[in-house]
Amino acid sequence: MTPKNNQRHTILVADDSEMNRSILRSMLEESYEIVEAEDGLQAVAILQQMEQELSLVLLDIVMPNMDGFGVLSAMNKYGWIDSVPVIMISAESTHTFIERAYDMGVTDYISRPFDMMVVRRRVINTIMLYAKQRRLTAMVNEQIYQKEKINNLMISILSHIVEFRNEESGLHVLHIQTMTEILLKSLMRKTDKYNLDRETINLISNASTLHDVGKICIPSEILNKPGKFTPEEFAVMKSHSQMGADMMKEVPFQEEPLVKYAYEICRWHHERYDGRGYPDGLKGEEIPISAQVVSLADVYDALTSERVYKPAHPHEKAMSMILNGECGIFQPLLLECLVESSDLIQQEMAVDTVTKGDQRIMENTAAEVGQYEEMSATDRTLRMLEHERAKYRFFITVAQAVLFEYIASPSMLTLSPSGAKRLEVAESTLDPYHNEKLLEVIGQEQLLELAKLLHSTTPEAPVVEYNCSVRLDGHSQPVHIISQAMWSIDETPQYVGAIGKITPLEKKEEAL
Amino acid sequence: MTIQECYAALEGSYTEVLGRLYSEALVKKFVVKFLADQSYQLLESTLKAGDYEEAFRAAHTLKGVTQNLSFTKLYQSSHEITEALRTKEYDQAVQLFPKLEADYLQTAGAIRTFQSEQET
Repeated sequence: MTPKNNQRHTILVADDSEMNRSILRSMLEESYEIVEAEDGLQAVAILQQMEQELSLVLLDIVMPNMDGFGVLSAMNKYGWIDSVPVIMISAESTHTFIERAYDMGVTDYISRPFDMMVVRRRVINTIMLYAKQRRLTAMVNEQIYQKEKINNLMISILSHIVEFRNEESGLHVLHIQTMTEILLKSLMRKTDKYNLDRETINLISNASTLHDVGKICIPSEILNKPGKFTPEEFAVMKSHSQMGADMMKEVPFQEEPLVKYAYEICRWHHERYDGRGYPDGLKGEEIPISAQVVSLADVYDALTSERVYKPAHPHEKAMSMILNGECGIFQPLLLECLVESSDLIQQEMAVDTVTKGDQRIMENTAAEVGQYEEMSATDRTLRMLEHERAKYRFFITVAQAVLFEYIASPSMLTLSPSGAKRLEVAESTLDPYHNEKLLEVIGQEQLLELAKLLHSTTPEAPVVEYNCSVRLDGHSQPVHIISQAMWSIDETPQYVGAIGKITPLEKKEEAL
Repeated sequence: MTIQECYAALEGSYTEVLGRLYSEALVKKFVVKFLADQSYQLLESTLKAGDYEEAFRAAHTLKGVTQNLSFTKLYQSSHEITEALRTKEYDQAVQLFPKLEADYLQTAGAIRTFQSEQET
């Protein structure tokens, strides 16, 4: 059968009888890696941890704690049933049992007593069928990713050309894009009057990179003049917004929303809410929201960047100048978004922009894939990828400590191996809020308080710090917990869990 | 005692189990392993304690294991008690237990004899 190499498939065998598991193991271990679960709860815990690696589940029906139907319910609830096939094994051959199992997504059914040939055949057939489906999903996925990547690349090249003439680094366009996205997301949560959704936000932030495209028509002596402009020069400079708009009117694809947003942004990103901007002196909501947001982002980035005629202002100073109206008047709701996203903006502007671009593609791909219902398995894979990326980045910064990960549904706490040892609890705990052993280590009140803190965070500011006392290294001692809440990428973000680390308080002080 | 004689003594079907497991070594391995299976003991204690839900699971497990090993006689009696517990006829289940006990002792006895003769 399958050759012995590192591509061996892994099978989860869930049966409460050690004897039965061991018979199945001996039938299959020659060709497959076997993972065993003694009951339904263990099976769910294993699925949660290694769903991506599992090629098949052999599932018994009658088991203590949670039976096979319970496992199937969980697999349906979390979408695992779409990527991991299940073969039911049981002596229950009554018609209603089998029918119910098939209704819940079971692929095949093996009844006891086990026949080696039948078990092996059914396992191979099922795994091969699903492997093919997975390959196809991966291919479609890769194509969408490439398409999105090339789109972004083209826009990025074009905007860098503009910046190049402007003797700027090219960071400006990326900053505008990032900040436009942050402000729009914040605005989307505040109001639905602009009909913002993920796709629109994506389009507007992509179009934002073209805001200064009209500057290619400005003579470079004026464009890069170090001193103050004469009134005539300033008039020429100001014409870039109209020029950009004219260009956008000339390009084909006028029906494309991207072009429409680019037109709005080019033309009106120097308008002000009180009507004192240019070129048209539009007022209030006459200015499209795309242009309103980009003009605010443009002002912020201009203030915080070094120019030939001025140094870079720090974030706080730029914020206070904008809020005091020193750079023109903006919509109050938008300023609210700016204030609320203040930390995130500061943080994101410092992030390596190349990485950021990659991550955006990843997120956008996830969103696009999400639009195809039949591809929910791929969507979920990408969501998991995003989750893994966030987790990885965080863990990298906090290595060598007691690390934990909590998944809200089904409720499960996972500790780093050394962390579990130091706390003297299991590495994985299902339903930690009701686990006596765990509650002995960290008191229930403290655990609930920490959970409350995490739940009250936002996707923009997900990190909390919490000091309390836990039993670590054999004795109760004060510790510092830093933890990041994980929010889903849905339009209404859902709390999906948290990751974090626990350090003895003294050590933290030493480090400082 | 050969494995065939062991199956004869516990009133099971050696040809049937060999037909499914394809290897005498595997059959021997699992037959001996049966002695370590605790589902009979669990059934006995839970039945006595009146914990019928747990007793059902234990009986069901015993039934599955004996079915896999083609311990026909013990399979029959564990099947009967499983069905009684499933349909919540607890009195009947308790009445069926002595027969199951006798069958279990017969099976375990045969395996022990087989095992001891293997070792010598």
